Amino acid sequence: MPEPIDSVPPVRHLEQKARLLLLAMVLLVSVAVGYLMVARGAFERTQQVVLVADDSEGIVVGMSMTFSGFPIGRVGRIELSPEGNARIIVDVPHKDAHWLRTSSVFTVESGLVGGTRIRAFTGVLSDPLLPDGAERKVLRGDAAAEIPRMVASVRELVNNLGALTSQDAPLNASLRNLQLAAERLNGPRGAIGVLLGNDADSRRLSQALERTNALLARVDGLVLRADGIAQRTDGMIARADQQVFGQDGVVSETRATVVQLNGLLSDARNSLKKVDAVLVEAQAIGANTREATTDLGSLRTEVEASLRKVEHLVNEINRKWPFARDAQIKLP
Amino acid sequence: MTDTSPSPSSASQRALRRRVTGVIDAGIELGDNALLQIDPARWSRSPVRWLRGWWIVAQFAAQMLVLALSPSSYRRSQLPVIYRQLVASTAPLLPGFVALSALLSLVIIRIVIASAAAYGLSQYALDVLVRTLVVELLPLLVALYVALRFTMPSGQEVAGMRQQGVLHALWRAGGDPARDLLLPRVLAGVFSVVFLAALSAVLSLVMTYVSLYGFTAWGFAAFTRAVGQVFTPAATLILALKAFFFSLVVAMLPIAPNPRYDGAPLSRRDEISQLGRVFVLILLIEVVSLVGNYY
Repeated sequence: MPEPIDSVPPVRHLEQKARLLLLAMVLLVSVAVGYLMVARGAFERTQQVVLVADDSEGIVVGMSMTFSGFPIGRVGRIELSPEGNARIIVDVPHKDAHWLRTSSVFTVESGLVGGTRIRAFTGVLSDPLLPDGAERKVLRGDAAAEIPRMVASVRELVNNLGALTSQDAPLNASLRNLQLAAERLNGPRGAIGVLLGNDADSRRLSQALERTNALLARVDGLVLRADGIAQRTDGMIARADQQVFGQDGVVSETRATVVQLNGLLSDARNSLKKVDAVLVEAQAIGANTREATTDLGSLRTEVEASLRKVEHLVNEINRKWPFARDAQIKLP
Repeated sequence: MTDTSPSPSSASQRALRRRVTGVIDAGIELGDNALLQIDPARWSRSPVRWLRGWWIVAQFAAQMLVLALSPSSYRRSQLPVIYRQLVASTAPLLPGFVALSALLSLVIIRIVIASAAAYGLSQYALDVLVRTLVVELLPLLVALYVALRFTMPSGQEVAGMRQQGVLHALWRAGGDPARDLLLPRVLAGVFSVVFLAALSAVLSLVMTYVSLYGFTAWGFAAFTRAVGQVFTPAATLILALKAFFFSLVVAMLPIAPNPRYDGAPLSRRDEISQLGRVFVLILLIEVVSLVGNYY
């Protein structure tokens, strides 16, 4: 043993101290390793959710997927699918898997500052649980991608504004005209001057107004005369009233006439009853006449038959008496 | 064996050579570049000697690694020496280092949290703290602390023993200086760096948690998850490798034979150049680890 040349002074309980240090070292390292394994999720039982995205930019293995701001899973693997999409395989511990339902929506968002975030949203927590290994399309919200479009829109807007406010822009000209109009509005001719533009027209308008006033005065006179006529008409109507509805008026006479007419009507009714009786008689006569007519028919047929027999007889005699006739045809 | 105890015959030769080179050095320092022609070997000697020096260091490191991995180094008879160096390397450093690392951690944690809050990025404060403090700064601090407090003085002691011929005497007495004297110091250095790095990492994580959430337990799940996101398998492997190589550099380089050693008595200048070498190597490892982490 090289005791004498070792310059370290002797230490009491050396072996215990050394063993303590070694133990502490083993403890430290094993605690650190165990903690890191817990932190990396080595002891969690997980299920997988496959998120399909157009591109996996900003997504790194180990990043969290959050639900309501709480991390419930971490990206375990990123791979390229045969269709050219990025497949992000997220490991979700079983104890957190109940937040994910079949109706859950997954988004990948990248802000202006900071990293990309994967978030899960579940609207209906009573839907069936998301099965292990389920594939979901991920929606992408990219603030940075919006910027170029926004800048283009803003540039267009600024150009339009510039065109609007330039020296020879229509808006500027309109404003100048408006200012001119306001000045004339405040001038001696006022709004009429603004409406008509030149002084001659506005003067004519004043004249027209004066003449209109005179016309109105004459219309007033006319109206007064019309009033007189109306009063006279009133008198005429009163007189007509008296003539029509007065003591010996048309109405009382008409009433007497109507009484007489009633008497006439009852007389006429009696006459008509007599006419009815006559008609009944006439009907009976008609019936008799019809019967006579049918008898006449049969008589006629009998006469016709007798006549035909007579004709036949005459024809027979004519045949049997041929000499009495000259049957020769003499040609000229 | 790396023992370079001087023999009497070569000592006078070396003294003569040193005087000649001393004269030439003085001339060159005065600005006479023509003096370089007197000793043309100086043109090429420097890089060759540099390479040879590092070759000796590499050989020493390989020898120590082999010894550290062979079971015969841990025989019962060896244990007291190893224990002694182990305790000497770590126990006296503990209070000072814990205080220093706690202070440094506290300051950096406050700065990062305050500036992150000022920029509205407090959700990234924990990530930044774990990355800068636990992964980068504390291992560097530990390596330099152990080098300054333990392995440099220990290496100085070994160099003294080499000069006084103690190692040679031990060799002649039938002992193995590499196994009995050097290996315990190297093991103690490695142990000290790894132990203090793990301790300070755990300490700073606890302090970060307390600074962020106070003395409550409700933030533990979120904290654990955030820490887990920083320590990806690659980052963890790089951190472990970095700590291991730091410890090797810190434990071996000061004890290894000085690559510039040319038989002159030890001076303060040698110590400073030794520290410089340790520092350069540590920085090199740090840069490589940064490249591994962020490229």
